[in-house]
Amino acid sequence: MKKFLLPLLFLFLFIFESLFIQFLPGNFLGHNRIFVPRFLFCAVLLLTIFIGRKPGMIYAAILGLVFDIVYIEIIGIYLFLFPFVTYLISKIMHVLQANLIVAFLVTLIGVGLLEFGVFAMDLLIHVTNLDILSFLNLRLYPTLMLNAVFLLIFIYPLKRFMEKYAILGRDE
Amino acid sequence: MPQFFLNKRLIILLVSIIVLVALIGFSLRERDKLTWPEQFVKDTTGWVQSLVSKPAGYIAGFFENLQDLQNTYEENKELKSRVEKMASLEAEVQALQKDNNELREILGEKKSLRDYQTQPATVIGRNPDRWHEMIIIDKGNLKGIKKNMAVITANGLIGKVKSVSQFSSTVQLLSAMDPKNRISAVIQGKKSDVYGFVQGFDDKEKLLLVKSIPSGAKVEKGQTVTTSGLGGVFPEGLLIGKVVDVKTDQYGLNQTALVKPGADFYDIQNVIIIKRSMTQPAKKDMSSGKEEEL
Repeated sequence: MKKFLLPLLFLFLFIFESLFIQFLPGNFLGHNRIFVPRFLFCAVLLLTIFIGRKPGMIYAAILGLVFDIVYIEIIGIYLFLFPFVTYLISKIMHVLQANLIVAFLVTLIGVGLLEFGVFAMDLLIHVTNLDILSFLNLRLYPTLMLNAVFLLIFIYPLKRFMEKYAILGRDE
Repeated sequence: MPQFFLNKRLIILLVSIIVLVALIGFSLRERDKLTWPEQFVKDTTGWVQSLVSKPAGYIAGFFENLQDLQNTYEENKELKSRVEKMASLEAEVQALQKDNNELREILGEKKSLRDYQTQPATVIGRNPDRWHEMIIIDKGNLKGIKKNMAVITANGLIGKVKSVSQFSSTVQLLSAMDPKNRISAVIQGKKSDVYGFVQGFDDKEKLLLVKSIPSGAKVEKGQTVTTSGLGGVFPEGLLIGKVVDVKTDQYGLNQTALVKPGADFYDIQNVIIIKRSMTQPAKKDMSSGKEEEL
């Protein structure tokens, strides 16, 4: 039973993101700022940082695929970007120590990279025609702010939770 | 040895990029239906989402009600004044409707582009990355939802059905940027109507762009924009919004109207799906039966 707690956490975050955006008022902090919740991806990165690269990459690939199918309907964007950014982050963590402050900063960098990657891909396939300055102002800064707040609150509980249940799942 | 590993990684990266391009190309092309694994995943998550989102909706609704209580007094005053106008308007509408029916009967035209059936649905999810503006609703193929149906809220048109699975479907909002998404619209003028296409959305100003308006046509601020029904998919007369500004196109051949949408694209809980009664004639009925050579 306890083995399923980690997948359940990810499933919860997956659905919570969409609920969050659905109930967030449209004019939250200025009417055209776009706050993108990346809670799911934050959790994947934390898993990579605290537990290890392999489970991180596997979760990133599966969740990326499901995210693409359910929310985007263009298969490939997140299926590629989730594992790619996760891999980069795991490379960075080779050099750095895995304490809470470093994890916080590195996760935020990961979210920023993901946003940039999605922006570049959407420009390529003409889903958007936003220029880079408006992208930074309207999307990147608000998104980083929102996820920083989320991480500040939940980074420690998430770390404890993962250390408890991810290792448990691996032993069995 | 390190050289070898480097090559292996490079090969993995290259192969995954090729697969990525193939997958994106596969899912970007015009598809009539989702493949069954996609439908399966969507239905499964849709089921979980509807389990979670309905209670969450009640809780959010409760807090909203509390907020609403604060300005009840003023709202009540305004609504009362509107109710008085409503009675006379209703009588007028009835008379006009009767008139219309009689005239139609004389003409022998029973159906019009305006006729449609409705199907209410609840929003159970929304795309969290707001690049592709989409919402997920809890009615699917089993309730008769088909691709490209119009979706409205009480305040106006919000989008069209993008894809359908058995128990849920995805609605693409008007605010999504999709070059294939063109809706034939009519700007109602006092003397004559002006036709154009809803095509694109201004992200910064939150306004819809109605393009391809002939340069001679007179469009003024405050005019109402509705669907025209000429696109073959949507019925006639669904409210889109009000004109805010008019600009001349790049080459001066056309005008573009900036339209403030009637519906709010952010706060959507319940939607209505529109099934048009009058269907588009099949291709072979429109021509002489043989495929014409171009």
